[in-house]
Amino acid sequence: MTATAYLTGFGSYLPGEPVGNEGIAARLGGDDPVTQRIRRRVLEANGIRQRHYALDEHGEPTELNEQLAVKALQAALGDRGIGASDIRMLACATTMGDVLVPGFASMVHGRLGGGPKQLLSVAGVCASSLSALDAAVSKVRLGDHPRAAVVASELASRSLRQRRYDGIRSGMDAHFLRWMLSDGAGAVVVEFQPHPDRPSLRVDWVRQVSLAHEHDVCMRAGMSGPEPVVGRTWQDVDIAEAEAAGMFLLRQDVSMLDDLAGAGIRQFEELVDIGLIDVGHLDHVVCHYSTNAFRDVAFEALRRRIPTLDTDRWFSNLETRGNTGSASIFIALEEAWRTGRFAVGDTVLLAVPESGRFSFAFAHLTVVAPPGRATASQIKE
Amino acid sequence: MTTTAAGTDTLAERLAEVWADLEEQLAQVPILRRLDEGTVTLDDYLRLLFNLRQQVVDGSLWISRAASNFDVAHFELRAAAIRHAEEEHRDFLMLERDYVAVGGSLDQLRAGRKNIGSEALSGYMFHYADLPNPVGLLGAMFIIEGLGAQRAAGWAARFQEVLGLADSQVHFMRYHEQADSAHTGDLEAILDSGIIDAAAADDIVRCAQVVARLYALQLEELDR
Repeated sequence: MTATAYLTGFGSYLPGEPVGNEGIAARLGGDDPVTQRIRRRVLEANGIRQRHYALDEHGEPTELNEQLAVKALQAALGDRGIGASDIRMLACATTMGDVLVPGFASMVHGRLGGGPKQLLSVAGVCASSLSALDAAVSKVRLGDHPRAAVVASELASRSLRQRRYDGIRSGMDAHFLRWMLSDGAGAVVVEFQPHPDRPSLRVDWVRQVSLAHEHDVCMRAGMSGPEPVVGRTWQDVDIAEAEAAGMFLLRQDVSMLDDLAGAGIRQFEELVDIGLIDVGHLDHVVCHYSTNAFRDVAFEALRRRIPTLDTDRWFSNLETRGNTGSASIFIALEEAWRTGRFAVGDTVLLAVPESGRFSFAFAHLTVVAPPGRATASQIKE
Repeated sequence: MTTTAAGTDTLAERLAEVWADLEEQLAQVPILRRLDEGTVTLDDYLRLLFNLRQQVVDGSLWISRAASNFDVAHFELRAAAIRHAEEEHRDFLMLERDYVAVGGSLDQLRAGRKNIGSEALSGYMFHYADLPNPVGLLGAMFIIEGLGAQRAAGWAARFQEVLGLADSQVHFMRYHEQADSAHTGDLEAILDSGIIDAAAADDIVRCAQVVARLYALQLEELDR
């Protein structure tokens, strides 16, 4: 017999004041006419109106990625009313930590404190968030840890500044992400018991699947083309050469994104087909997507299976919090939870497609009442 | 089975009567009633482990002390006690891991003291183990191993059911179903071996009565 895992605390941290579209250039640069035109086009497509950067108004960094992670963790622990010493496992996801070595989780734990812990650093892109959640949930279910915390954190902005782009050939593959990504962190507390006096989110299952076996790289940094070549990665060549070759720009092959959306929808359909998602009892969908263009594709695909899915049951805060990569799903979940969108008995699907090399992660949650109080579903019975 | 001077009942029948009395006492223990009713809390489970640990940690000590007090005429009992002490002396570590796995602090657990019932139980066991040839302790074994074999797994299953605990959070109680069943088998073999005379049988029954009462007291006096 295994235990059950519940999400009992939620936190997010978005650095600084929200930055509107007009404030981007002051921080990231790129105020020449060509770049301005590209920026406007990308922003129109992605629909993001506001985001946060850990950069001051001159584009200088204000915080480390590990600091964003710790602040989100502290918010989640505070929300649950416990301290860092109550957590026995810390699972941290990020696309790029502040340093190459050691792992991100070690740095987050060092800053957070709170006694000995099991650590996990999950490297990847957007779906690394749910991979970290999966690991923490699994350990809690096994009974190895009574409480764990999961954080996903991104500080992409510093590598999106003009100095990285000066003199380097960069096409739409680099600009698309440059005007889309921003900074933030989101965290959850996972426990083997529900919150004692308010509702919790029971984790019914987490699924993650990679289709890298049949897809080329879509999002990359550290190599000069879509295929890594022996002796030619950023670690092999001189740093100046790597920079001149544009290896330090984060790039995405935008021509593959339609395939990505299609593959993500097929994964969703498969979860419906094997019965993990009961479309008759799915109340909320919290979906990560990079741009509003994919919102419409995903929403319509889901509505084919769930005719009753209306916009009230669909939640994203992309437009106001920006695309924070792996952190997005927890930042969205925290806002949906805090603003009272979910009622006891409701089910929630988290969906995170990752363009990196075609990964998809889903989690299914059910809102449960505190112990000793009847749940809505019990009342219905 | 030996028939005793106290009456015509066999030792097994007399011990069965002690067991039935214990069952009645246990039914009145508040934490076991809550467990039965399904109103037990995680805090109850933590308290139970905390309280048991302070006495369980002494188990192997009194068994080995008893072993050292069996002379050569009681060679078989000494051998059995030595084996049993060896088997039991890591048990409390399993309990400690369970305690930590449900969120308890190992430091606090290890800094804990015995409750009133545990003090009485442990004091009685050490006192008895100090006697020459403490054959009566087979009665203590009958109660303690019997609880492990017949009740602990049921408690574990019920805690799991009510509180949603994983197997690895109830190791101690689940383990005892198998381990103590083996021990009670050993005990029955000794009781049937013909080495228990009428006086020894009386001692065994008396010790079982005292240990049953003190064990229940230990469960009643949680944290006191």
